[in-house]
Amino acid sequence: MKKPTGIVGEFYDLLESPQNSLVELAASQGRIPVAYSCSFVPEPLLMADRLFPLRLHAPGVAGTEIADNYMSLYICSYTRSILEFAFDDRYDLVQGWVCVPSCAHMQRLFDNLRYLKNPAFTHTIDVPQKATPHTTAWLAEELAILRDRITEHFGVDMSDASLRKAMNEWNEFVREIKAVGDLRKKENPPLTGAEFHAMLMAALVSPKDLILPLIRKFREEVEHRPGTGNHRARLMVVGGHLQDPEFIRVIESQGGIVVADRFCTGSIAEMMPVDVNGSDPVMALAEHTFRKTLCPRMMEDFDRRLNMIIDTVREYRVDGVVLEVIKFCDHWGLEAVPLVEALRKEGIPVLRLEREYRLSSEGQLSTRVQAFLESMGK
Amino acid sequence: MTVHDIAARIKSRFIGLKEPAGYSFHNSIAGFALESRRPGDILIYAKYWLLIWGSILKFGGRLLLKKGPVGTIRVLVNYSWLFPLLRITQFMSRISHGRKGAYLESTCLVTHAMVVGLLQTLEKAIYDPEHLLVQSYMLPTEIGRAMGLNVWFLELLGIPLPFVKHDYMDKYIDEAENLGINPDACSSPKSVMGMASKGKLPKSSVVVGTNLPCEAGAGVYSYIQQKWGVPVYRLDVPTKFYEERADKLFVEDLKGMIAFLEKHTPGRMEWDRLRDICTARNRMMELELELWDMMRARPAPLAAEAVFLSHLFHFYWLPGDPLGVRLFEKLVNLAKENLRTKTPAVENERHRAVVWNPPFPHYTDLVNILERRYGITCLMDSMSYHHHPFIDTSTPETMLRDLGNIIMQGPMVRHTRGPVENFTDDIFRAYKQFDLDMIIVANHMSCKNSHSAIGILREKCRKESIPLLVVDYDLMDARIVSQDNMLQQVDHFMENVMKAQRIGH
Repeated sequence: MKKPTGIVGEFYDLLESPQNSLVELAASQGRIPVAYSCSFVPEPLLMADRLFPLRLHAPGVAGTEIADNYMSLYICSYTRSILEFAFDDRYDLVQGWVCVPSCAHMQRLFDNLRYLKNPAFTHTIDVPQKATPHTTAWLAEELAILRDRITEHFGVDMSDASLRKAMNEWNEFVREIKAVGDLRKKENPPLTGAEFHAMLMAALVSPKDLILPLIRKFREEVEHRPGTGNHRARLMVVGGHLQDPEFIRVIESQGGIVVADRFCTGSIAEMMPVDVNGSDPVMALAEHTFRKTLCPRMMEDFDRRLNMIIDTVREYRVDGVVLEVIKFCDHWGLEAVPLVEALRKEGIPVLRLEREYRLSSEGQLSTRVQAFLESMGK
Repeated sequence: MTVHDIAARIKSRFIGLKEPAGYSFHNSIAGFALESRRPGDILIYAKYWLLIWGSILKFGGRLLLKKGPVGTIRVLVNYSWLFPLLRITQFMSRISHGRKGAYLESTCLVTHAMVVGLLQTLEKAIYDPEHLLVQSYMLPTEIGRAMGLNVWFLELLGIPLPFVKHDYMDKYIDEAENLGINPDACSSPKSVMGMASKGKLPKSSVVVGTNLPCEAGAGVYSYIQQKWGVPVYRLDVPTKFYEERADKLFVEDLKGMIAFLEKHTPGRMEWDRLRDICTARNRMMELELELWDMMRARPAPLAAEAVFLSHLFHFYWLPGDPLGVRLFEKLVNLAKENLRTKTPAVENERHRAVVWNPPFPHYTDLVNILERRYGITCLMDSMSYHHHPFIDTSTPETMLRDLGNIIMQGPMVRHTRGPVENFTDDIFRAYKQFDLDMIIVANHMSCKNSHSAIGILREKCRKESIPLLVVDYDLMDARIVSQDNMLQQVDHFMENVMKAQRIGH
């Protein structure tokens, strides 16, 4: 594939290394990268004072031999790739690791990380699996514990005022992302799904304040672009952690365009502003975490997840849904059964794809997408 | 078709019958008598064989009387899994090979108690469906029973059915995979999904699920909710269950469950009834701890199914039931008898082991084979090994708190939640407590949780010079790893690591 040029090319550059040039720049200025791997970690909390959140990814991972030894081959390749990179010291700038044991794979990733590398700061947030007033209070307590531990360990300002400032910065960031994302609602969207995802992933693996100017520039550019042309179908991608924009590019290579993304590293639901007007910013973050994260681990949220997809399909005039499930993920593997049935009942065509973390079998992927488009009569 | 063809066909049918007939004979009273040749043991075996068949016939007779012929046929069609369960005495025979005296009796006793418990609960499900509550096997049944409900575990049949017919769940696993479940998911939720899809499970008007023990186990409840169209309450066990604040959170959740059940079922909470059940449960636990204490002796007076099955069926399913109390009283007496006469459960006890993870449902003979072939006594398993508190029955609040702790810190729950130390340290604790000299991990292929902890466990075992045998297998699907292959894994380990000689077949 020919590497994109211009601003999109810059986004791709930022995705080439687990610690990109913006992370290096921020670290050299004395700022503190804190790594996380799951959407249940509230990013605004890690944006306070000198901290910045860094979503873990393992670009270009070639093999996971050491991780396979410890975690076995039957574990999701995302977590194995992260462990492999950690073992190879590819995250040497990271000063803190925050884990949410949202699944067995995530829990054991951090167990093995602690066992093999023993980082100076690790913390586990226990996020309940259903949202009630009691569990929201529990999550707020959990976040307060994390806040206190960070204050003690890094000596940073995690006061309410500092948190509110970080939450405002988050909201500003979200506004920019949403402004770009909304352009995809147009009849003829001015950007492809791959371009949008490259921008979003680059933002997740960079300090938000440093990448924001680039995002603004990108928004200005695409606002003045003509549409990307006629497309066979408008698609929505649904699923778990998806890092590589190339996955979306391969889907789009068959003539469709991805206009909506409801996955962990996507924008819909995930990129939601946090309420800064409440009396307790930590409680606001707890509520925000439950509201924005639509993961199948939330046991009683099936209808909310389903309705969110159906609403998005209508809002973005989606023709078909591509459900991507990373291999060995039981959350999505089990969810897929009732979800696919319910979506088909609503008359929404669904293509279910099983994939690995690293993009592979491009030919097979293209063929399946092509067949899917044809089955929709597109 | 010529007469010759017909004769050839009949002959081939008879030849085909030779193997199952031999198998049936081998596992009958006569087969046992031929192998054992000890009148006392033959009497024990025959007694339980008759008791089990007596219970089955009683169940059948009552069914016919209460439901009539048409109703009976309907039950047998809906619950066609009752037919393979008729092989239960074959299962008893397979796990009794080579066992004698009190140890043999304990094996037969737990099998009989399992049958009685199963049939009693099934009768309630058939005759009183309004009071039926289907719930997760990771939750104790005390609360439902105290509310006057008959509790049935959604996942229950995944245990006894592979016991009696190793490939019985295959068709349901295939059904679930055809529905779209990921093939690498655990075969327990897969078989639940397959059985529900085929309409083979007792169905209640509400269901109580949980986030235990794993993602697949919890995820199956979304399918059930959609398939059955019934309300589902889900209990949410925190990961940091060992913290005191978790008690409060979980008690609130239990109260939510009680309110849910009172709203959707005819059940009403009777705190005095709960107190009685909890008191009896405490008594059962006292007896179980006494049994465990005796099993620390070398050689152990009882082992294997006497520990595994008694806990699995009576602490998970029928805690505090008079049947369970009686069972544990008898087990304690049998262990005492062996201790007094200095009779080992396993003749030639050469190695003492813990079996971590559920012990091989589709290959239940393996533990028996380990005994006879290498003198390995399996003393404990992860599903039985608990550190439960005794339930403080003074107030409803204390009962809920302690029941909550039993759930949160129960076997498998604490192993699959929280840091890896919850998994590894417990194994080492059992290793010390029972004076063991090897660890066997029943490495269920689709259990992501234990798979991803094996690397750490292996290194920790090396550091402590503890022999670790990891047997790769699938919980209910013998097509993933065959029984032969499992046995080979054992043989290779015993020959190459333990340098052990075979002492039997």
